[in-house]
Amino acid sequence: MRTLRFVSVLTAVCLIAAAPAAAQEGHPLKGTWLGTWGPSPEHLNDVFLILDWDGENITGTINPGIDNVEIRNATLDPEGWVVRFEARMTNAAGATLNYVVEGAIGNLAFHDRTITGTWSHESGSGPFEIQRQ
Amino acid sequence: MSHGVQGVSVLVLAGLLVAAAPVEGHHSVFGKFDVTRETTLEGVVTMVDWRSPHVHVFMNVRNGPRFDSWAVEIESPDILRRAGWSRDTLRPGDAIVVEGIAARNGSRQVWGDSIAMSATGRTVLNVDDFEPPAPLASRPAPEWPDGQPRLGPLPGGVDGYWAYPSATALVEDGVDVAMNAQGLLQNIDDAARVAPLQPWALALYRARQSRQLRDDPTFLNCKPTSGPRQFQQPQGVQLLEDRVRERIFVLVGSGNRNFHILFLDGREPVGQVGGDDDNPLYYGRSVGEWEGDTLVVETTSFNEDFWFTNGGLPHTDQLRLTQRFSRPDFDTLSYEVTVDDPGAYTRPWTSSWTLRWVAGQELPKHFCQENRP
Repeated sequence: MRTLRFVSVLTAVCLIAAAPAAAQEGHPLKGTWLGTWGPSPEHLNDVFLILDWDGENITGTINPGIDNVEIRNATLDPEGWVVRFEARMTNAAGATLNYVVEGAIGNLAFHDRTITGTWSHESGSGPFEIQRQ
Repeated sequence: MSHGVQGVSVLVLAGLLVAAAPVEGHHSVFGKFDVTRETTLEGVVTMVDWRSPHVHVFMNVRNGPRFDSWAVEIESPDILRRAGWSRDTLRPGDAIVVEGIAARNGSRQVWGDSIAMSATGRTVLNVDDFEPPAPLASRPAPEWPDGQPRLGPLPGGVDGYWAYPSATALVEDGVDVAMNAQGLLQNIDDAARVAPLQPWALALYRARQSRQLRDDPTFLNCKPTSGPRQFQQPQGVQLLEDRVRERIFVLVGSGNRNFHILFLDGREPVGQVGGDDDNPLYYGRSVGEWEGDTLVVETTSFNEDFWFTNGGLPHTDQLRLTQRFSRPDFDTLSYEVTVDDPGAYTRPWTSSWTLRWVAGQELPKHFCQENRP
């Protein structure tokens, strides 16, 4: 477990360190995003999000690794730059939760743009904020 | 105010501008200056700072009982030199009238569109007069012994390059929209007509235009002016043909004076294994072949870290360019590019323009990295 944690942290550090060379001017969502989400502003967890654009669909992975989750039904509305996607995850009790994340892109012109909004599932909701690395 | 104090003030202002440069960096003209704020200044030249990427003329302008120091920013030395200027065209003490546009931040800076001598009214700078007159008569294109047109300098040390593009921003052929030399639309509502953009790309293009192109990574970070943009830059391009090695070197006069290779040796458009084989590039990978008198070049493997057009049309790493070069006469290079990017556009589209031969000269020495305002 300690090794896994070390590898995860190392991966995160490498992704962040590589970010300046990976500045991107194409589709606004494409890239590596890092931020937080949680039940309240006082209780937030780190979240990694890798997003891609193939010309028709937005695809992505939450927290890449052995427990990664693929996003589903992702959309970007250029009117207001509103981002929405879903993800299906299993909680500690084994129950399946259907997450919906919705937010708006901020600082569109910059490579370190943000997405700020909310997440929700069947029994909870909270803030969601990530920044492109 | 005494002349001595004025002189010190000018030097201090100049010093501050120069010192501020690394923070501000090389900028897009319309990111710094507001086209809606036309300004006329009349005063006396105090200093000319003849440096790339933009020359500054400092002048004193009477403001009631005192004089204000103004900085007039004009084109780069290489462009001014081509237009007949030298560092001595204006001298301290010359009385001049400047017409231009004012800085957005309200500082005493203008972008100079024209400069005239107060005493005679003689115009010494007019941005509309940079292009030399067309040749009086058409001359046949030079050829290699096998009859293939030559695209580059002639043997025997005669230099030359291509510049003065007939269009300076990418617009689909057949579309007529008004924009300035930097690709800034006169009417933002024309954005959808420029090219068949996907909704997100249209929104991003509009956003870039609405910010007067101030986010252009070429100006902010000296990112290459790659793709078709390298053929629409004021500094021009030079095509050096290496027939022995079956390749053409494209020397880019703008930005970082980069070069790019068009391979004509029949290779596949792939990178070097263990080198750049899995790495998207600013200039992509280009392979070409001659179809009659036209060189056809296919380029793929672009990264997304730059703007491939003046004016900020978006692209993705799915971008594929088909570029066609021909030389219908000695002084004309015809350039046509088909943009096929299913990531940003709804269909492939084509744009074309011509460039003019600048005879007897090497490419201007213009370095983005000098990184001054």
